[in-house]
Amino acid sequence: MPFDRRQILKLAAAAGATAALPGPGGAEAALTRPSKDARAVLVDTTRCIGCRTCEVACSEANRLPDPESDVDFKSLRTTGPNQFTVVNMASQKSPGGEERYAKTQCMHCVEPACASGCVVRALEKTPNGPVVYHTDRCLGCRYCMVACPFGVPKYEYTKAAPLVRKCTFCAERQAQGKPPACAENCPAEALTFGKRADLLEEAKKRVYGNPGKYVPRIYGEEEAGGTSWLYISDVPLESLHLPQNVSNTSYPEMADRALSAVPFVITLWPPLLMGLWAMNKRKDEVAAAGKAGEGRHE
Amino acid sequence: MNGHEFLSPHATKAVEYGIAVAYLLLFIPFWRAMSSPAKARVTARAFSFADLFHVPDGVHLHRGHAWARPGAAAVAIGIDDFGHGLVGPIDAFELPAVGWRVRQGDVAFGIRAAGQSFALRAPVDGTVTEVNPLALSDPAALHRDPYGAGWLFKVQPNRLSRDIKSLFSGERARKFLAEAAEALQLAFRPEALSLAQDGGALVHGIARELDPEHWDDMVRSSFLTR
Amino acid sequence: MSEQAVARPMNGSWIRDKVLLGLTPAEYLKSLVTPANGIIAVILAAGIPCLILRFWKGLGAVTNLSQTYPWGLWVAFDVISGVALAAGGYTVACAVYIFGQKLYRPILRPAILTGFLGYVFVLLGLIVDLGQPWRLPYQFFLTPGTTAVMYEVGWCVFLYLIVLGLEFAPAALEWLGLAKLRRLLEMMSIGIIVLGVTLSTLHQSSLGAFFLMTPGKLHPFWYSPFLPIFFFISSITAGIGMVIVESTLSHRAFHDRLDPKAHVDMDGITLGLAKAGALVLFAYFFIRLQGLAGSGRWDLLLTGWGAWYGVEMLGFILLPSLLFLFAVRSGSVKLARIGGVLTVLGVLLNRFNVSLIAYNWTLPNRYVPAAAEILISLTIVTLGVVVFRWIVNRMPVLAEHPDYRGSH
Repeated sequence: MPFDRRQILKLAAAAGATAALPGPGGAEAALTRPSKDARAVLVDTTRCIGCRTCEVACSEANRLPDPESDVDFKSLRTTGPNQFTVVNMASQKSPGGEERYAKTQCMHCVEPACASGCVVRALEKTPNGPVVYHTDRCLGCRYCMVACPFGVPKYEYTKAAPLVRKCTFCAERQAQGKPPACAENCPAEALTFGKRADLLEEAKKRVYGNPGKYVPRIYGEEEAGGTSWLYISDVPLESLHLPQNVSNTSYPEMADRALSAVPFVITLWPPLLMGLWAMNKRKDEVAAAGKAGEGRHE
Repeated sequence: MNGHEFLSPHATKAVEYGIAVAYLLLFIPFWRAMSSPAKARVTARAFSFADLFHVPDGVHLHRGHAWARPGAAAVAIGIDDFGHGLVGPIDAFELPAVGWRVRQGDVAFGIRAAGQSFALRAPVDGTVTEVNPLALSDPAALHRDPYGAGWLFKVQPNRLSRDIKSLFSGERARKFLAEAAEALQLAFRPEALSLAQDGGALVHGIARELDPEHWDDMVRSSFLTR
Repeated sequence: MSEQAVARPMNGSWIRDKVLLGLTPAEYLKSLVTPANGIIAVILAAGIPCLILRFWKGLGAVTNLSQTYPWGLWVAFDVISGVALAAGGYTVACAVYIFGQKLYRPILRPAILTGFLGYVFVLLGLIVDLGQPWRLPYQFFLTPGTTAVMYEVGWCVFLYLIVLGLEFAPAALEWLGLAKLRRLLEMMSIGIIVLGVTLSTLHQSSLGAFFLMTPGKLHPFWYSPFLPIFFFISSITAGIGMVIVESTLSHRAFHDRLDPKAHVDMDGITLGLAKAGALVLFAYFFIRLQGLAGSGRWDLLLTGWGAWYGVEMLGFILLPSLLFLFAVRSGSVKLARIGGVLTVLGVLLNRFNVSLIAYNWTLPNRYVPAAAEILISLTIVTLGVVVFRWIVNRMPVLAEHPDYRGSH
């Protein structure tokens, strides 16, 4: 194992100073106050062999149907209401001529668009990282699907009482101190589970410590204001089918700019409108008095 | 929003300011075009005036505000509702007797109102066959149904189809009356007319309302018998 | 077209007088057999089974919604467009009460009724579209998502429905003869109006705010941080256009309900609305241009999307503005009506562009509504028209109630 607990602890100590700096997403307050222990997963696609054990482990842990056994990777697969993660092949080979693969699932953003936009808080960002879904609240407006820049939430259109379905980051397992099923079962150690701050450090160490090996970009560091799933690779991140049109501003911030105007409208409109009403009423009264006066003269 | 901007931020901001300034400059002529006084407002008013004038089917108007309606036996002749509205309560009619001949465009009959006499021109050629007894017994009542029971006299036409060509009917008749109303409005205070409108119909005898001193001239020029 | 509005003295039961328009049940049923009602019956006969299927078998059974297109025709048309087209209620109320423009008094009640029914049927459309609509109240009482735009919209629409109900109530109370209650309401009226305008400003703009979180999915020509302002201003134009269209249709369809002695200056009203419409559309055109400048993507003007944007901007915003201008200059009510229709279509087009057409503009697979989806939308609109007609044929909406003449 390239990493053992001691090394991670050492890294954590060394990275203490860096961890204290404001993370990506900036000085603005996050929707929830992320705990310093917020968890993340680093996906190193140079190690992924496309075995899809993560898919199998995920379906077992979440009691989902088994994923299809034979996949030729020729067409792009997407997650669905009954499949929370899929592995796709990159559209480009590595500089060394190897195929590359990447797993997609919910990114568990630091400031998730879905959770901020959910009218009943069915989707909720927990301080430790996972964006969880409460099945007993959702009213099925599907706005989370509209808002998510990664297109993650999937809907059960065939059910009479449908739910939104997505990767849970194994929140229940995490509560028991266990890593997510996919990370625990990855035979190639492509998935490293740990604290986000630590994993960012590890990612930077790998990327900048091996000049020329990796593409100099950590996908998820800034995307959507920062996500819990970080990707590094030796092929361009676009070829891994990771969306490239994701803004670096946090999505909830975009909506919040508009919502912050609401209290001002509520406060300023009534006096403005009542003022106009009073002005026009006065104008009418003056006009009526004038006409009456005129009438008397004739 | 990020990567692919075509213009630099400075240029973009300049364009945005430019659009705002262009709008302000264009707003001035836009506003003026819409608030173009008398003409636009008057035309708008005239349309609602036209609603007050209803010319029934089969009625043909003469420029002097007499009308002709061909019937089975003869052509009925009367004064249109604009004319009635202009003059107001009528004291007496001066109508041609049975057997007299009238010619289109010639003075053929008249009315007396408020101590003045007004002449009107015949709308068609013909020989008088009948005079409305109501016109003689109750002249003030005739304005209530100007195109129906308010007929004044009937003639036997001799060149009806030719005469009708110089008369207005249907939409053209409405337009003619609306323009007549517009002409009135241009000459006088708009408020007087809008007051009339609030009352729901053209005030009966509006000429006297508009110009108490020269109302008779106004009536005669409308009837083309100045 | 509609049931006979035969005036009969109040005899027999209250139901016969108020509900059956003074006819016996047999006469009333007979009067319902008209070609228009035939069409309505066909639509409902086809649509109601679809509605039942939707709730029994789920959304997938009747719609073409997908994982990439979670919002389809029902959200785009019945909810988002429906709210915009119901804006006549607050715009005319503001004109009459706040700006003192008494000219528009005669169209105030029909506009408020259109607004009220509009929102009721938006709610119906929402209930049809939601996956678990029985959970609608959760946002108010259980776990409010206070950061969500939809939370603000939810409260606003809920409160505004009450406001519209209160604004329309005097007409219903006159119909029922409840003078005291009616007087009570009259006293509150300016407060209700101000609340209505404030709530409308908020939720009309918030419908645009929904799409603030979609910069990657919505085409740059339609995406803007100023979407809320665009939606608010265009809701004013929608209100003006809708009132012109609705009053034209109502005066033709319900002319036997009009009071011939009332002398409503419909032409003056229409041209007045056209004047307001011209100004607002002109300004709206330019602020949309600002949106274009802000996107910085002038390079996209020469694409198919650029052409489509041009169609919306020039054909459905600038053109009706100019038509309204010429209508006012020449006094042509006909031009004003055409302008009204174009304006309404323009708002519909914009709402569809933002929520459906220019949404996911980079994806090759386009969403097209299923036949059952269209039928259900049509059914909802038809039900709205039927209720509108029922109310107009009984309550003093198009004409004053004889007992309350001149009391507005």
